[in-house]
Formats: sequence, structure tokens, C-alpha cells
Amino acid sequence: MKRRAILAFMLDRPGVLNKVSMLIRKKMYNVDTLTVCSSRIEGISRMTITLQEDDEAKVDQIIKQLEKFTEVVSAKELDTDHSYWREVAIVKLEVDATHLEEFHGRYNFEVLDQKSEDIHILQVAGSTRRIDAFLDEVGQEHIIEIARTGVTALEK
Amino acid sequence: MTGKKLLLRALKEKGVRYIFGYTGGAIMPVFDEMDKLGDFHFVMARHEQGAAFMSQGISRASLSSAEKQIGVCMTTSGPGAMNLATGIADAYMDSVPMLAVTGQVATGVIATDAFQESDVVGVMMPICKQTYMPLDAADVEQTVHEAIYVATTGRGGPVVIDVPKDVQNQLVADEYQFDAKSFRPTLPGFYYHPTPAREPLQQAMELINRSERPVMFCGHGVINSNAGELLRKFAEKVNIPIAFTLHGISAVPADHPLSLGMMGMHGTVEANRAIMEADLLISFGMRFADRVTGKLNEYAQNADVIHVEIDPSEIDKNVRTSVAINADVYRTLHVLLGDPMLTYKPRRRWWEKIESFRQVMAEDLRQEIELAVGDGGKLLMKSIIDKLSELTGGKDLIVPDVGQHQMMAARFYNYQTQNSWFASGGAGTMGASLPMAIGVKFARPAERVWSISGDGGFQMNAQELGTIMEQKLDVKILILNNGYLGMVRQWQTLFFDGRYAGTPMQSPDFGLLAQAYGIPYRKVETPEDIAPALQQAIDHQGAMVLEFICDPSEVILPMVPSGGGFEDMIVKRPGSEQPETSDSNGEES
Repeated sequence: MKRRAILAFMLDRPGVLNKVSMLIRKKMYNVDTLTVCSSRIEGISRMTITLQEDDEAKVDQIIKQLEKFTEVVSAKELDTDHSYWREVAIVKLEVDATHLEEFHGRYNFEVLDQKSEDIHILQVAGSTRRIDAFLDEVGQEHIIEIARTGVTALEK
Repeated sequence: MTGKKLLLRALKEKGVRYIFGYTGGAIMPVFDEMDKLGDFHFVMARHEQGAAFMSQGISRASLSSAEKQIGVCMTTSGPGAMNLATGIADAYMDSVPMLAVTGQVATGVIATDAFQESDVVGVMMPICKQTYMPLDAADVEQTVHEAIYVATTGRGGPVVIDVPKDVQNQLVADEYQFDAKSFRPTLPGFYYHPTPAREPLQQAMELINRSERPVMFCGHGVINSNAGELLRKFAEKVNIPIAFTLHGISAVPADHPLSLGMMGMHGTVEANRAIMEADLLISFGMRFADRVTGKLNEYAQNADVIHVEIDPSEIDKNVRTSVAINADVYRTLHVLLGDPMLTYKPRRRWWEKIESFRQVMAEDLRQEIELAVGDGGKLLMKSIIDKLSELTGGKDLIVPDVGQHQMMAARFYNYQTQNSWFASGGAGTMGASLPMAIGVKFARPAERVWSISGDGGFQMNAQELGTIMEQKLDVKILILNNGYLGMVRQWQTLFFDGRYAGTPMQSPDFGLLAQAYGIPYRKVETPEDIAPALQQAIDHQGAMVLEFICDPSEVILPMVPSGGGFEDMIVKRPGSEQPETSDSNGEES
């Protein structure tokens, strides 16, 4: 299934998130990621939703129905060729410092804290795939806990 | 000024005269104020669902009158509000503007599971156009104005305002000011494009001029934008047949020579066959519901589709369009009518074909209607509707319930009055008729109103006989009693080997029931008695109940089986002869 990102701007009011999530449930999707933040304009929130769908027409339907909400100012799909999709992960790892050094320069990460000799808390930023690749390369067996923000996206 | 006073002031300012509802703990302050003011005619429903359908009735029926009114219902919190839900969901499906005002427990106890507390906003959100909960008395008036604007602008729909009890009683500051005249709601996300763009109009006209086998569709949008007359003129100008959705009925006189009647699951052979063979569909104000299209991948495969629709999210939802015109139907037709580019085409071969489609069932139906009884000697619904049509000249207001009799009323009444058909369509809510007819009567008091129900649907809101009694309303009530839930029974006959699970139904003595409410009653069991009984109801000043003892085995045909395509249309009743599809009848040219 193709991963889609929908970007919507909406009034920052109680209940709007509820409406959006209800629509997505009604259309029988499971949300992959959902991020909400304030936008450049006061009182307007910015929401990025990612979900899986191959059918172009179905994505158009979601967008049209999102736009129908009185609170939604605009909604559109962002494709990977014409936009940046990024997320941040905070990872607690049990790993040797020397092992981590191998990844310097190849991945965009920052050590937030070193709890003990081999317990590190890192912040990794990048595309979903890039973060996945980093975690795979470090080795899933080293991961104690992970928190990911979900995707936010910006048009080129 | 208090929240309750401002609420009522805003309703009055918006031209509201009737409030349908039911009081209770959390709305008492508003009712008390309403009583003191004496500005509104309050109609007490016997169940909140009734109040919701009454307010739908007033909205639907007043659309075409000089004085458009938005139906308002008002109830208490918790169960009062929850009982509105069916009527609100129904209005949302059918694009009917209405306003529901519900009392809510005081803000201090919200979300503590207080007595009669329900999350009204949460429940109503997915079944209405917009929900509001003003948390300050100073917001109440503006909220009402915005809510009514949202409900009535663009594609209509219900809105809900949930008002906590303390906000109703709260005083606004002395410097509070609100100017209703200059108020414009700030809704940056609310789009409304009534005017058609030039380019798609041009493309549409080219397709229309080029088409050999076009069909025009008349949907609810034609009624809602009061464009029936324009549609008729447009169809005559370009000589294109008109098929109707359930809600498009009565926009154009039913016996107009260009009319193909209703389309879809229980549509006419001529409408459905014409759609199958069409090279162009020109659809005005409709949403291509499953009851209209049947199986989508078999639907009108060789046709281009022009879709004129005020709600952009309906365009390309079910049927891919060739030309999309996101605009108001009235304005679009107005522009099209004035354009010299459109031409009249005789399309002789197309009309010959349509004439042959018209003949497929015509004789069978005529014979059945004349016979007026089924095999068991009981009355046929179609004959009753036919007689009613004849006696009233097709001019009266018809409010059917949901089911077999509804399809009969859609097919066999000869609608002559614009906007004279008020039905629960999308939601298909049994029990809608009786309360909706009450609202229709308040909106159009000078016209005769017929509530037509089956025995099942009638009993779902029979308590509203009490409202009719109390308000001394002249609503003629027909109960077509066949002892079953007729439409489900028809499906059971056709698709469940005649196993009648959950459909036989014992009814009370409707005569005694009518008598209990002081409403005259007559039972009709023979074909000879149909006309005199209907005439008695017509002549009687006031409400009257007529019960017709109907044949349970009567079916409404043709029928496109659920999930089937128009190719599968059943035109012969099973048993008497082999079921045939329409294909074996219509002649190919």
C-alpha cells in the first residue's frame, strides 16, 4: 500500500481533531501518524496525517470531506517528490560508545544524555526510512525504549 | 440580558415562529422564558424524535414558499437530546436544514456523569453539519446566527447547539452588544461556490449538443434551490428526458411528456433502461446514492457524466464525472437557459426507444391498478395511491413513511405542485411520516397534507396523534395495513425463499386508537370503498385516519436487487410467471 501524507490547516478549536479522526475512522483507515502544531497564523493549526492507500480517488475523497468541515481552511495531499517528510525519534539504547561512533557523519543524531557507560539517549531526525535504517543498523536488540513524533511535512 | 433571552431573541430575529420540543430539567429556563415572551408557537411533541421530524417538515415544506423557515426543535439534556439523534441523522442524509437546541447540565458538572448528562456534541458531531456549545452567555446570540447560517447556506443540513443550564441563566455584561443585521460569521473554512465557472459550462454545453442519447437527472438540489421550473424549461429547450431521484420528485409535474419518472432500485423501467443506454447523464443536485446507481461498475458505462452539485465532496465520490460543475443548481440552470449555444435536437430514435421502454410494464401496471385487489382479495397499495392522485388532482402535499407504500407513493401519485413530496430518503427512517406531516402542515397550512404510512412505520411514532389532537391539525392519515413490514417481506419473497422472519406484525385496533385521540376513522376493505373513503377525508375539516386493509403479497416492481446492476432489474412478479429481467422485453433498434 502506498503511504500518503495529507496536510491540513484548521481552526485551533476544541473538537476539530475529534472530527478529523472520526472522518478517518468512518472511511475505515488506521492512521499511521498524526502530528498537530501551530502554524504561522495565529489561531490556525497545522495537521499532517499519514495513512496507507493505493487508490487516488479515495484519497481525494478524504481531502474533499476534510475540506467540507467548517473549521478546515485547506487540505491537500503532499507527495514525496515535492515535499519533505521528516520525523524525530528519541531512543534509549544500551550500546558501547565505540559502536555508536561508527554512525557519526552517516546519520543525523545527537547524544542527549549518557546515563552510564553503555546507556545512551539519542535524538535522531530524518525521514521515516532513514530513522528505520539507523535503528536497524544500530541493532534493534540494543533499543530499550523509543519515542517517535510521527511525520510532519513541508512542500518544496 | 441572560443567555436564554439572547437565544430566543436570535431565533426570533431569524424568523423562527414555531418551536417543536419537549421540556426537562436542563432546558427549563429557556422554556420558562419562551412562555413569558409569548413570541413563539410552541408545539409539544410526544417524543423528541417527533420534534426533530416536525422541524424537518417545516424546513422542507417552506423551501418553496415565500417565507422560508428553518425548523427548530428544543429538548432537554441526556435522553431528550439522544432521542433527537435519529431525526438529526436523517436530516443530515437528506440535506435538510434544521436547528436543534438542547439543554446541557451546568458547566460545573459537565463530564462528571451528572444526572441526564450525555456528551451531546460528541454524539451529534458525525451526524450533523456543525455542533456548538456556547460557554458564555455573551456567545449565545452569535452562535445561533452562525448556526443558522451554516445550516441554510450551501448544501443544507442540521446543526446542534448544546447550551449548559448555567449559561442559559447567566447575565451578560451591561456593555454587551450584538448587531444581528450587520453580523457576518467568520468562517475561513466554510466554502460556498454558488456561481458556475465558465469553462466547465462550455464543456457541458458541447457534450449536451453532441449527445444522441442523453438523460437528465433531477435531484434534491433542484427542489432545494427552487429550480424545478428552470429545469423543466431547460429540458424542453434541449429536448432531453428527465429521470428523478426519490428527492427530485415533484420538482417537475410527474406527467410531463419529458418525464421518465423515478430512477434506481424501484425506479421505472424507462428511467433505468434509458440510463443503461445513455451516452450522456446530466445530473442536477444529487449524490449518486447506491439506491440510484445499483452496482457501480456496471452503471451507465457508455455515458459521459455532467455533475452539477453544490457540495464539492459529492463530485467524483461514487461516479466519475466528465464535467464537474460545483455550483448552485438554480444559478447553473439560469445561465444554461440563457445561452444561445444550446440547441434543440429531435433525437427521434432515442425517443422511440424510450417509448418502447415505457411500454414494458405499462399494461401490467394498468391492469393491476384497475383490479385494485391482490389474489387474496385485499387491496393494492398502488390502486389506493392512484385513486388519491385522481381525487386530489395530484395537487396535495404527500408525506410518506418508509417502505413499500413509500415507493408506491413515489411512483403512482401524479405530482403537480412543486415541492409537494416530503420523504425520509437517505436514512430511510420508519416513523418519519406522521411527525414530518405535522411540520409540513404548519409550513403550508392552506394546502392539504397526507401522511401515508404502513402499519409498521405508523406505530413507530403513533404517539404524535396526540400532537395532532392538541394542535387541532388537519392532517389526513392513511395507514396501508398489510400486516407485515412490506418492503422487507418483498425482499424475503424474492431473495429469502419466502421465509418471513421478523416481518409479520399484529396491530392494535387503529379505529380505537384514533378514537382515543378524538380523530375520526374509517376502515376500507373493498375497492369500491377506496374513493368514497378518501373523499370523506377530503371533505372532513380536520384530521382523519383511514385504514386500508392491503394485500401482503403485493410487490413494487421493477426492482433492481440490492448490489445488482440495472441489467438485473426484475419486472415480473415471481410465482405468476417466470421472473424476467427487463432485457428480454425492450426492443433493440
